[in-house]
Amino acid sequence: MNGISTDIQHLKKGEVNLGTSIMAVTFKDGVILGADSRTSTGAYIANRVTDKLTRLQDHIWCCRSGSAADTQAVADIVQYHLNLYKMQFDQDADVKTAASLLKSLTYENKDQLSAGLIVAGFDKQNKKGEVYSIPLGGSLHKQPYAIAGSGSTFIYGYCNKNFKEDMSREETIDFMKHSLSQAIKWDGSSGGVIRMVVLTDNGLERLIFYPEDYENL
Amino acid sequence: MTSVGTGYDLSNSVFSPDGRNFQVEYASKAVENGSTTVGLKCKDGVVFGVEKIIANKLLVPGKNRKIQTIDRHIGCCYSGLIPDGKHLVNRGREEATNFRNTYGKPIPVSAMSERLSQYVQAYTLYNSVRPFGISTIFGGVLKTENGGDNKPELFMLDPNGSCWGYKGIATGKGRQTAKAELEKLITSETFDFSTLSAKQAVEEVARIIYLAHEDNKDKDFELELSWCSLSETNGFHKYVPEEVYNEAVENAKSAVGLADSDESGEEDMEVDAQ
Amino acid sequence: MNHDPYSWGRPSDAMYGQYNNAIANAPNTLEHHSSGSNFNENTTRPIVTGTSVIAIKYKTGVVIAADNLASYGSLLRFQGIERLHKVGKTTVVGISGDVSDMQHLLTILDQLEMENNYDNDEYSDNVDELQPSYIFEYLANLMYHRRSKMNPLWNALIVSGVDSKTGKPFLEYVNLLGVKYASPSIATGFGSHLAIPLLRKLADSEEEAAELTLEQAKKGIKDSMKVLFYRDTRSSKNYSLAVIDKDTGIAYDNNVDVEDMSWKFAKDITGYGTQRV
Repeated sequence: MNGISTDIQHLKKGEVNLGTSIMAVTFKDGVILGADSRTSTGAYIANRVTDKLTRLQDHIWCCRSGSAADTQAVADIVQYHLNLYKMQFDQDADVKTAASLLKSLTYENKDQLSAGLIVAGFDKQNKKGEVYSIPLGGSLHKQPYAIAGSGSTFIYGYCNKNFKEDMSREETIDFMKHSLSQAIKWDGSSGGVIRMVVLTDNGLERLIFYPEDYENL
Repeated sequence: MTSVGTGYDLSNSVFSPDGRNFQVEYASKAVENGSTTVGLKCKDGVVFGVEKIIANKLLVPGKNRKIQTIDRHIGCCYSGLIPDGKHLVNRGREEATNFRNTYGKPIPVSAMSERLSQYVQAYTLYNSVRPFGISTIFGGVLKTENGGDNKPELFMLDPNGSCWGYKGIATGKGRQTAKAELEKLITSETFDFSTLSAKQAVEEVARIIYLAHEDNKDKDFELELSWCSLSETNGFHKYVPEEVYNEAVENAKSAVGLADSDESGEEDMEVDAQ
Repeated sequence: MNHDPYSWGRPSDAMYGQYNNAIANAPNTLEHHSSGSNFNENTTRPIVTGTSVIAIKYKTGVVIAADNLASYGSLLRFQGIERLHKVGKTTVVGISGDVSDMQHLLTILDQLEMENNYDNDEYSDNVDELQPSYIFEYLANLMYHRRSKMNPLWNALIVSGVDSKTGKPFLEYVNLLGVKYASPSIATGFGSHLAIPLLRKLADSEEEAAELTLEQAKKGIKDSMKVLFYRDTRSSKNYSLAVIDKDTGIAYDNNVDVEDMSWKFAKDITGYGTQRV
């Protein structure tokens, strides 16, 4: 059972795969999500400018890895539930609630799905960023930062050494740019541009970095 | 009830020509003769009190509890048909579990109120069922760390399915007296919810129940007290501990002018329950 | 009665020759499978996993330990995952195997605990708290039920504790097949190979376990955790240790490190055959 290669074996024939590098990092003012932009079918790049950062609510986003179809379906369902939650209870859902919904879906359908997800959001109650990792089997792990996807295996050491709690916005972006740059460099299934979403009390901000920006840091 | 016997009072799901559902109104009658039940908010929680008439000398003192827990942070008491209440509490527990499993956090009291009232209301729609013969007072406080807002909430749910939030509320036989007392307390100029501690609220509830019992003096009763407060119970719904209970009962008795030696039995309750 | 003519039996081959299945697309066997793959596939492998749990009884209680690691294949992915869980007042459940199933079990145990407490706080009618034996029996039924539905929870569990009424230590095992057993010392996974021999040296029978002191039991567990860290590729240095004692209740430390390891001898080991430098 070799973690990453089983992801690919699990895909149905002809299925599009996000053989990805994704990450989410909490910092002083909130949380930042980051991802590469490559989607491949086997060795062919089906989309080189994919957006793997998906909105669940304005203040809760997720990074998707695994089967594109599965993760899109699951994200859509959770988005629906969170919209319903907002209408029913007249308040925004917590990040924990979003993660819990996503977990239930992946856990209860683990045999049908190949979805590795990271949920990240800004917790309005505590004014803090939160990150939850939901790997293949459907377990749920709260973490200060999370990395996932095939490219992540190459940057476990780098991230572990360089992550610090409560970094500034610029420090965090720098850390993520370096991490994803290395992941893209060594993983054939990752590539393209680096996309980021910054979630703070002031709302969200999108960032994009082109190969010339991150290749020679 | 002028329309009694006209046939429109025999079934749910049939309105009388003047737009009333008699079955539901009769259900409220069951409540009016039920035991006095009081709920009161305080600065960081809610307090419940029930007057439990001793219907039979053979009953074990301190046992046969009436106040129940719906979820760890929600207490519940009701007057009317007790088994109806137990059934509703079970439904509440299912809803609590359901909410926790989908949203990954405990159910807010307001969400519980929505779900319970929908359930009760459904029993006024069909002729194959009868309405709930209870008025239910429930409430609690959900801590911020559990996804709540640290604000206490208190509701009363009636047989017709309507559910309102209250600062303090009473139902059952002694409701007139109790509600008058609650109003007197809450509207008095010196009163301030932001300073009313859970212990003070327990005292008030005990006093009000003793006062409401004055109209029904010939019958012995046991007092049941529970609370759910951030400071006293860490947000859990629990029966009040023995010392607090005894003190509240002492003060309540002297407030309504009962000499200590007149009454017997009440204090034994907690001791027997150990 | 089965009205399908194929189930009525057919003329013997010896008499009439082999039946031609191509006729009317007849199935080759009498069993019918609905899905293309013939089987309904449920959980067929664990993904994120926890390794061994080990435990031993002593005179007045039980000592149990499990490391704080969740692996993803050979990747040591999540540090700080607690796999010992307090249930009720005198029980600790140790869980190895799939972590998503472990989390599922935890929500079930939380529910079980809550249902028990609804009408059961210290003042109410039915003063009966959850005993380790109740929790074990519940879990064992659950595990067997799930395997019988061909959808097992991919775990091995150790339930440890003391009965709060009799004060007797409790230790029992159940796994994904629903197999259960009790013993003075129990371990799951690698632990059953590496730790059990060490723990049996301390106490080979209930009688001997009843003579063990807490210190002896604790040392046995700590030594076993060290050996497991030496030889189990999916283990971590950091682990949790719980002691459930009839007099002092549960003492739970989720941050213990393997201590007193011996590595110095490696200096004298050079080459592998005849080489001497």
